[in-house]
Amino acid sequence: MILLQLLINGLVTGCALGVVAISFALVYSTTKIFHVAHAGVYTLAGYIAWLLVSHAVPEVVALAAAVLVCAGAGAVIQHQLYARLERRGAPHLVVLIASLGLLAVMQNIIAAVFSPNILQFPVLWANRTLALDGVALTYAQLLTVLICLAAYGGVMWFAHYTTLGKRIRAVASNPFLAQITRLQPNTVYVYVVAIASAIVALPGVLVPLDLGLQPYGGITPLLTATIAMIAGGVGSISGAFVLSIAIAELQNLSLLAIPGEWSIGITFFIFVIFMLFRPTGLFSAAR
Amino acid sequence: MDFLLSYLSLAAIYVMLGLSTNLLVGIVGIFSVSQAAVFGVGAYIVGHFLMAAEPMSFLAALAIGMLCCITLNILVTLPSLRVSGDYFVVTSFGIQLLATAVFTNWTAGTGGASGMPGIPPPDVFGYQLQSSWQLMALCMAGMALACLCFWLVMRAPFGRLLRAIREDERAVAAAGKSVLRAKVSAAALAGAFAGLAGGLYATFLSFIDPSSFDLDASILLLTMVVVGGARTLAGSIVGPFLLLALPQILTLLDIPTIFAATARQLIYGTLLIAFMLFRPQGLLGERL
Amino acid sequence: MSTYLQAEGLDHHFGGLHALRDCTFDIEQGRITCLVGPNGAGKTTIFNAITGFLRPDEGHVRFRGRSLDGLRPQAIVHAGIARSFQNLRLFTELTALDNVMVALPRQFAEEPLGAIFRPWHAARSQRPRREDAMQALHHVGLADRARDTVRNLSYGEQKLLTVARLLATGAELLLLDEPASGLSAGALDAVMALLRRLQSEGKTLLVVEHNTRVVQQIADEVLFLHQGHLMARGSPAQIIADPALAEIYFGGAL
Repeated sequence: MILLQLLINGLVTGCALGVVAISFALVYSTTKIFHVAHAGVYTLAGYIAWLLVSHAVPEVVALAAAVLVCAGAGAVIQHQLYARLERRGAPHLVVLIASLGLLAVMQNIIAAVFSPNILQFPVLWANRTLALDGVALTYAQLLTVLICLAAYGGVMWFAHYTTLGKRIRAVASNPFLAQITRLQPNTVYVYVVAIASAIVALPGVLVPLDLGLQPYGGITPLLTATIAMIAGGVGSISGAFVLSIAIAELQNLSLLAIPGEWSIGITFFIFVIFMLFRPTGLFSAAR
Repeated sequence: MDFLLSYLSLAAIYVMLGLSTNLLVGIVGIFSVSQAAVFGVGAYIVGHFLMAAEPMSFLAALAIGMLCCITLNILVTLPSLRVSGDYFVVTSFGIQLLATAVFTNWTAGTGGASGMPGIPPPDVFGYQLQSSWQLMALCMAGMALACLCFWLVMRAPFGRLLRAIREDERAVAAAGKSVLRAKVSAAALAGAFAGLAGGLYATFLSFIDPSSFDLDASILLLTMVVVGGARTLAGSIVGPFLLLALPQILTLLDIPTIFAATARQLIYGTLLIAFMLFRPQGLLGERL
Repeated sequence: MSTYLQAEGLDHHFGGLHALRDCTFDIEQGRITCLVGPNGAGKTTIFNAITGFLRPDEGHVRFRGRSLDGLRPQAIVHAGIARSFQNLRLFTELTALDNVMVALPRQFAEEPLGAIFRPWHAARSQRPRREDAMQALHHVGLADRARDTVRNLSYGEQKLLTVARLLATGAELLLLDEPASGLSAGALDAVMALLRRLQSEGKTLLVVEHNTRVVQQIADEVLFLHQGHLMARGSPAQIIADPALAEIYFGGAL
């Protein structure tokens, strides 16, 4: 059943994209920075895990290590780059360009250290399939869905029920007030980018488990995720996640009609429609 | 000697692109990673018409190419004027990636991933140019023309209006001037420069393929403007000349070819970060 | 006789804040009218509504009998109304002269084609416009500071420059947002003299001001705004003498 298979694939991709989207949204809605280098962190995660797994480290440990390394990378990026630029009063454009530069640096260091070509995870169980009713699902894909859904749940819980989560939401909704009421937005920003980087490490490892690693493969998922974030309404975690799945499904279903290389056109087309008719998104918190 | 001519011709072409990017990013303040896409459109259009069943003269093909690039740039920047700056980042990336997809997959029109070979050298007012010297002279002439236009535009009231817009759009509106019209005009001019560069590139190299017009190329253009200096004519000239010399310096370091592109992109990225942190005005520019 | 500028039923919310509350007033031609009221009364919001920077939820604005509803700021300037900003919003990297020249209407080569294809005409046509700009600077007493960058002007001089920029537009109705705030006594007198001079030349002024001395000295009429609504209008003497209004102005909560 091709249709069902496409829908399942869409769900898998969508969940992964959803986590990218909510982690990006976390950074964007709090620091207001369009953190393009997030795609670099996403890419880094996969390679860290690959490196460890290639040296006979158990997969679970490799995943955890990737998450931790990315958290650290995120913290460093915020503290050493963005915070410095902010202190110098850098305009938005300057921060964007710096982030883009950082993305280029990260991707190309990875390409130089590992390989510019596609690498596969030396993990045998990942590609074994679970066949149900004419539909095939690899273990990697199943794991992706489960872990990403769990991550979504975790972020929702974190944002609404923990002190740090509430502090982050407070800073995001009113940075000026946060500055003068000792919420210490700068510290919060470091936490935010670290947490977002940790979260994005999950799909960063899981997706290449299925599809293979490549240094320059981060920007397209990031873009699709940001479109989902915008369409879902900046500030809405659920909106970003749901729209990610919706976009992934639409992309997959479009394969019935048009060749795969053009699927980015679909995403982009959706984006343009939203920009023209509903720029604040479907579930925007800010209305 | 041939190598030097090649370097000068390419540098001239990239100066036009530098002016284009500087206008859009430096002067109007729009973050654009899609300038390489517009450059590519200009190149492919000229290549197409020069090799058509009824080949056009170079200048006619160039005119069409420039017109298309002007239109494209206007269409591409219009969303940025209605929607907040950050959302436009997504649009810009999207356009660049979409363009690369078209260049790579629309085999009928662009030759796909293997590119468009055999583009004939240009003819100017009936005279057929052939040698490397002549081609370089043409590219230099194009560069001179673009620089002249940029200089004229910036010292005219339009230039003053653009500077004012960069500082405070509301105040410009309060002074009775249309900010939208000014930005769109600047984008159109940037498109013209990119189209000019594209046409010259196609005919000079005689072979074009999607890899010259991808996201990495757009990043290179940004780096040229950032290093040379934003918003000034001098910056738009120095940046390309310097950065095009870079690959030559790299070959002296004996880096294996598989890593050549990686090494270049690494350097561009580092330059972007370094300049944004320590010298945002570039070598000869004004602060972004 | 149709009123010169008429605002009718202006109503606007900013989220939960009811900034303008069924605000109705009119201005007579040739007068200096002062708009006063405590902070947050909606004075700048009214300026924004009149000049097209804000589209009010409800209400209408008419100028010389013509509706201004929905017009963009540039169109309103062409109609003859120009406004200044409380925080100046000058082009700090440009010279005083350039700041004024930006505001001159109908210039040649304010778009690329004219600049590229008729460069000599572009340069020549700038000369009379430069004269116009110098005249505006002369009018406010800044003629000798024409070539100085705004950064190098004193605060008082910058405030005068904002008025010169307004004059350059050729507008007949000038909306000034706190033209005298933050000025020393000498600069204050210069501004007041300038405003009276502009009135004598046929301009109509609507001025937001906090300084009661300035209001007393220049206003022909005072509009007292409170919580987005016109509470009272009258001569400066009447308004200033009213104890209830003083209570609101000085003792009232934000």
